Formats: sequence, C-alpha cells, structure tokens
Amino acid sequence: MLELNNINTFYGKVQSLWDVSLQINEGEIVALVGGNGAGKSTLLNTICRLILPASGSVTFLGRKTDGLSPHAIVELGISHVPESGRVFPELTVLENLEMGAFLSHAWKVKNETIKQVYELFPRLQERERQLARTLSGGERQMLAMGRGLMSRPKLCMFDEPSYGLAPNLVLEVFRIVRLLRDQGITILLVEQNVRHTLEVADRAYVLENGRMVLEGACCELAASDYVRKAYLGL
Amino acid sequence: MVLEILDILISGLLNGGIFALIAVGLSMQYGVARVLNVAHGEFIMLGAFFTWTLYTMLKVNPLVSLVICGPIVFVIGYFLHKTLYRRIRLSSESQGAFEGNSMLASFGLLFIIQNLAILRWGSGIKGYSYLNFPVNLGGAMFAANRLVTLLFAVAICIIFYLFLTRTRLGKAIRAAAQDPDAAGLMGVNINQVLALCFGLGALMAGLAGSLLSMSFRVQPTMGLEYTVIAIIVIVLGGLGSIPGSFIGGFILGLVGSIVSHFEPGLSLVAYYVLFMILLLVKPTGILGR
Repeated sequence: MLELNNINTFYGKVQSLWDVSLQINEGEIVALVGGNGAGKSTLLNTICRLILPASGSVTFLGRKTDGLSPHAIVELGISHVPESGRVFPELTVLENLEMGAFLSHAWKVKNETIKQVYELFPRLQERERQLARTLSGGERQMLAMGRGLMSRPKLCMFDEPSYGLAPNLVLEVFRIVRLLRDQGITILLVEQNVRHTLEVADRAYVLENGRMVLEGACCELAASDYVRKAYLGL
Repeated sequence: MVLEILDILISGLLNGGIFALIAVGLSMQYGVARVLNVAHGEFIMLGAFFTWTLYTMLKVNPLVSLVICGPIVFVIGYFLHKTLYRRIRLSSESQGAFEGNSMLASFGLLFIIQNLAILRWGSGIKGYSYLNFPVNLGGAMFAANRLVTLLFAVAICIIFYLFLTRTRLGKAIRAAAQDPDAAGLMGVNINQVLALCFGLGALMAGLAGSLLSMSFRVQPTMGLEYTVIAIIVIVLGGLGSIPGSFIGGFILGLVGSIVSHFEPGLSLVAYYVLFMILLLVKPTGILGR
C-alpha cells in the first residue's frame, strides 16, 4: 500500500534520515519504534510532505507522491495525526472534527463520520461545544485521533498517540488502534512505548539515529535479544 | 450638555464603524497571512477612487459601487499574495524573517500604488456629494451618508464574522491562523488560504474606501492615516482577534471623538498616546491572549 525506497532527508545541513526503506501492506498495523531523535517524526513528515526528501521515493497505492503538496496527500487517503495532537486550540471540539473533514468528499458525509467518532470517543461528544484548549491532555489526544479519522483515510499515521497519557488511557489508545484496523484502516503507529506497541502491531521497524536497524514480525522482534535489551529493558 | 454627549457618542460610533471595518481587514492580513500590510490604506484609497470615478463619470450609485469595487480590490490583493508575498514566504527562512521581509515589501507597495494613483488622478483633492442631507438624531445633526456608512460597515463585519464561524472555508481560515501546518494535514491548501485572506483584507479596505468616499475627501495620499489607525486598532483589540478588532474600532472612534470635541487637532495624537499606553500596560490587547 505504502512503500518508501531509500529515503534521505535533511534538516538544514544535518541529515536526519539515511537510506530509509519501509513497506506497509493493506490491513496491517505497522509499528515504527525508536528512541528520542531517532527520526520517527521526520519520517512521517516526509511521507506527508511537510518535509521534502533529498532523495528516494514514496509510493502510495502505486502512485509516486513526488511534487505533491501536503493537502494532496490527504486527498490520496493518508491521514497524519501529528505528535502531541496539534488540535486547533481556539476551535470547539466539534469544529476541530469538522476541520478533519475539510476535503469535499469527506465534508459531504461529515455528520455520519462524527457520529462514528463519538461512538469511539464518547467523551468528545460530552465536550462538543468546548474550545479545544480547555481539554485535558488525554481528551486532546482523543480529539486529534478523532479528527484524523474524519477524512475517512485508507492509511492512518499516529505519531506517539500514547505519549504523556495516564496508564489506563494508554491502554485505551492501543485498543482503539486495533479497533480501527478491524474497521479496515491500515495503520502506521509511531511509538516509544515499545512493549504495548509490539503486542498490538503485526510488524515493526526499529529506527536508530536515522537508520533502519531492524524489521520483522512483532513476535520475532519481541523475542530478539537486541530488542529485549535495548527497548524492553529485559 | 446631554446634547453634547450625544453628539460625541454618535460621531464616535460613526468613525468607529469605519475603523472597525478597516481593522478587521488588516486583522485578516496580519492575523492569518502574517503580512503587516503597511499598504492597507492604499487599498482604501483605491476603493475610494474607483467609487469616485464611477460616480462622477457614469453616475453609478456609490452603494452599488460596493459590489463592483470590492471584487476588483479583492482580485488585486489575491494576486499580490499569489505572486509577491508567496514568494517572499517561500524564500524567508523563518516566520520572523517573513514578517520583516513582507512588511518591507508592503512599504514598497505603498509608494508604488500611491504614485500610480497620483499619475492617474493627480494629487488634488476629489469629492462628490451623495446623501448629503442632515438627519436629526435626538437633537444631534449628522449627514445621512455617514449613517449609511456606519450601517454598511457594521453589516459587512457581521456578514464576514458569520462567514468565518459558519462556513467550511471560514473554519479553515481560522484553523490556518492557529496552526498552518496542522491545517495542511487536514487537506487545507495553505497557499490558497493565505492568498484568500490577503484578498479578503484588501476587500474590506476597498469597501471601506467606497463608503468613506461618500462623506470624506478623496486623494492619493489619504491611505497612510487609515493604515496607522488600523494597526492601532488590531493591537488594541488583540492581534488576530476579529471580534477584538471590531470592538477596538469603536473604542478608538469614541476616543477620537471625545478628544476632538475639545481640541480637533489632537485626535491623531490621542490615538498614538493610547497606543503607547496599551503597549506598556496590556500589549496583548483587550481580547488577546
């Protein structure tokens, strides 16, 4: 579904991704794990073209994305829920969700999609009229995830959705990720919470200092000595 | 005494309506597109001259001119952003650099538009008479055209506010003002929205110019005074806040009419004093955060 081939990306003069390749098949949950500054967010930003790669190619559903702007990527069916949510603070919860359905095909069915999002996150319905800046951290993350679903994406990329959340909410986030996959959405999950991520995902990639160092099925990775030592503290 | 207060209040509101309209326009350009458009007043001047030309040459009713001049000035603003400011934005390495560069470009624009206007219309003062009969408001007398101006200015601001809060595009504009990158992730074409906001700002200025031309003199150098007023009002109201700009416009209008009641020459001085006090005491403005 999504294929990255030999991506090199720079921030100014500093290279942050080195020859990165990645593949996601339809219906999978693919995890991308790695420490702080490993380049995980850079990779997502490269896919949705907020940052342009210096070389390498990104292909989505057989189509190269070179030359497209960020809004065109959404139109192709990729939704990106950025790090720390980035909800619109001065818009209400409902308006934030509506913004997620900005594209015309999603706008037409937005009321129906909002209903589905409220079923996933009943808390958002209670807060419907509140400004997003008045929400708690957990509610904001739910709003960001809900907003990301409003465009009815084929592929959803979550950037550290569990970061900074209370333990029970972390479990809730992973439960919802699995639920979304069951509804037919392919998922790229970027996480630092490696233990839970390897339980939820089908396959995982490990990124370190901008380079892919490992990839494989989650059960294999969870059993490998390297991952157990470096990420699971075993 | 009562009559005097009524007189001050009403003339404050009459000025305030126009101040609000031009400030809401500048607020779109600075609050969303991040261009401190020093040439804002030149768009007011263009609106005024277009309306004057249409009235004196073709006898077009100035209120009908609104729907002709507005779109013309909008298109000028829209393409100015698409060509000039978009390029500056892409070549500026940071947001701060862009704000500085775009302001300098606006200064250039100010002189270009002003001089083109002098070439076309001459530097003399123009004017015409329309709805120029007095209306009695509880004893205070005002020209009908000024009341019509207030009515239209308020109506335009309200329509615009509804556009921002009720429509898909309006919500996208507000989202882009808060977080342009995140708005891009929603599928909003940021370049398009910024150009639209700049055009809308020019539109408001053009409409304000059309309205002003009914009751004030029209000349190529009239713009700068209004630009200064608009800048003061958007700071007064809180940068980026549309309701703030609206209320701020009326506050400044009232301050002006109170001061000029006692000493007509000092109203501009009063604006600056208010501006300086504001920057020292509450730089975020009345509705700012």
